[in-house]
Amino acid sequence: MRRGLARFLTGIMTLTLVAGLTGCGGSKSANGVEKVRLMVWSPSEDQSKDNGEWLQTMCKSFANQHPEWDITFVYGVADEATAADQVSQDPDASADVFMYANDRITNLIDAKAIARFGGKYKDAIESTNSKELLDSLRVNNDIYGVPFTTNTWYMFYNKSVFSDDDVKNLDTMLKKGTVSFPLVNSWYLPAFYLGNGCTLFGNKNDESKGVDFGGEKAVDATNYVIDLAANPNFKIDADGSALAGLRDGSVSAMFTGSWDANAIKETLGDKMGVTSLPTFTVNGTKKQMLAYAGSKAIGVNSHSEHMEQAVALAVYLGSMEAQKAHYEMRNVIPCNTELLKDPKISADALVVAQNNTFNNTSILQPFVAAMTNCWTPVENMGKGIRNKSVTHDNAKEQTEAMNAAMNSNGIN
Amino acid sequence: MAKQFQSAKKKKMINNTVVHIILAVLAVIWLFPIFWVILTSFRAEKGSYVSTFLPKAFTFSNYEKLFNDTTILNFPQMFMNTLFIAICSCILSSFYVLAVSYCLSRIKFKLRKPYMNMAMVLGLFPGFMSMIAVYFILKAVGLTEGGLIKLALILCYSGGAGLGFQIAKGFFDTIPVAIDEAALLDGCTRWQIFSRITLPLSKPIIVYTVLTSFMAPWLDFIFAKVICRANSDQYTIAIGLWKMLEKEYIDSWYTSFAAGAVLISIPIALLFLFMQKYYVDGVSGAVKG
Repeated sequence: MRRGLARFLTGIMTLTLVAGLTGCGGSKSANGVEKVRLMVWSPSEDQSKDNGEWLQTMCKSFANQHPEWDITFVYGVADEATAADQVSQDPDASADVFMYANDRITNLIDAKAIARFGGKYKDAIESTNSKELLDSLRVNNDIYGVPFTTNTWYMFYNKSVFSDDDVKNLDTMLKKGTVSFPLVNSWYLPAFYLGNGCTLFGNKNDESKGVDFGGEKAVDATNYVIDLAANPNFKIDADGSALAGLRDGSVSAMFTGSWDANAIKETLGDKMGVTSLPTFTVNGTKKQMLAYAGSKAIGVNSHSEHMEQAVALAVYLGSMEAQKAHYEMRNVIPCNTELLKDPKISADALVVAQNNTFNNTSILQPFVAAMTNCWTPVENMGKGIRNKSVTHDNAKEQTEAMNAAMNSNGIN
Repeated sequence: MAKQFQSAKKKKMINNTVVHIILAVLAVIWLFPIFWVILTSFRAEKGSYVSTFLPKAFTFSNYEKLFNDTTILNFPQMFMNTLFIAICSCILSSFYVLAVSYCLSRIKFKLRKPYMNMAMVLGLFPGFMSMIAVYFILKAVGLTEGGLIKLALILCYSGGAGLGFQIAKGFFDTIPVAIDEAALLDGCTRWQIFSRITLPLSKPIIVYTVLTSFMAPWLDFIFAKVICRANSDQYTIAIGLWKMLEKEYIDSWYTSFAAGAVLISIPIALLFLFMQKYYVDGVSGAVKG
């Protein structure tokens, strides 16, 4: 037994040594073809056989287009929401090319983990995307990623309950059927405040402008939401209750994004309607609800050893061809301006709704550092309204308290 | 006299009834979440939100999905990864704990007291405090990529085990030194005393050590998350279950998540049932002073 243990320990030590010694290797082969090892991270759906292995297909076709490089791809799984954190924690051991949600862009820049796009690549990105979309990836006039889809939420409804005219105004809808909205989620609730004229960092990522969620306009919005919560035709969406309501018929309209689209389509079938956000009526005037919108983009690790190839691959994965395949295989809504003119894609209600929301009924979700202070106070406001601790009587002071909390980092 | 006796009996019965009712209520409260998870794992309705406590229809498909729908979240692979890691680190760390405890209990050496104090102080810090340092050390040695991640995790879970000797040492202290001395006179070496005499007398504490050192890696999330990163083929079940509750997956995976939670409790339950026999034997048959 003792000898067995000794052997086991020696085994471990040898393994560690061997592992430590590998990892360095040559990179140039004889016939001028450069050997390249690229690590690529994407959500697991992009690599799954059921969805046609989008990432592998695209990488292969990229390699075919570049015979001058002998590329070995290493695939890893990191979805857009977490990839940025993973990369900024340890850029050295992270993917050369990864997909991230634009709200993490400041983290990546602070961690010096993301590369800027320049020259012909920057021109290529700028020529095929809308200005608003590019703004979501622009910091100090530099572009930090190749956008491949927009990221926002909008309205799904049952066409047999609401007509095309009904869905233009929330109050009209409430008279005809049940509407569910995630009041207690601070990604959704600001829609009413922003719609009534409140602003976050000037709605233009300008940290110096601060948060303006106070004053008459904000109190009016709070009062509107209090009435909304008390409406018998309104249900608060929490923990998936709206989707369950759509399934059993107790809810006829809900607010969510493309990630729930398949489940809703399965439930409502042809009766599924999807559109950008409705207006709501405050003190007799119509105001437009405004969602937070962002983008998902392909980023390049600034620590990459093969920068040229990594940038080229990122641009290719965000190209029109790749977006088209992404849409066909996985229903990822494209953002390439050329591709959106494709008659098949422009006829897709989901694509239209998401892009209309992005273009008309949303603001760019601020990604300045101070934005981190804005989530909890809004969530607490939503919870207060749900628990009825925020009422018409104390709406003013509660709103001002929320505004103060959003403007402070809680330390000084 | 008889009346008095009867009333005492009656009093006892009332007492027992009250106690049992309270215990029953507490048992229901404690078992309620487990019962609910089991029910949810058989629920046929989709989605994460339900308006009724009892499912409207029952199905096995949540379990089938875990094992058939493996292209996005490969549960069988995660299960085997975790089982492998947990078994290896269980064997390693049980050995460490028992060996360290035996040494500290039986061998008197100069650093004994300082070592025990140091271990006590180190034990006061939470393990994940050193997480980042551990990650960078493992990365420097090259253990953070591919299949070596399993080795890295085994090292993580078993490496610090020697510090958790207190309970086992306390147990060894209760076994009389006289037995050791008798064995020594008969020509036993230290190792033979440990393996032939002390260990067979210490079944309860071995069972306890094995159970705790199996549970820790089986349930751990933080270290696995930090070390696995984007290597989805190395994920452990804790990471897999956590993934199932993300925004994109929760609607279609929620009931399968409950099924997964039921499945991971099976190895622990089996281990406990199997070891309980020895546990009881050990306690009843122990040779005490």
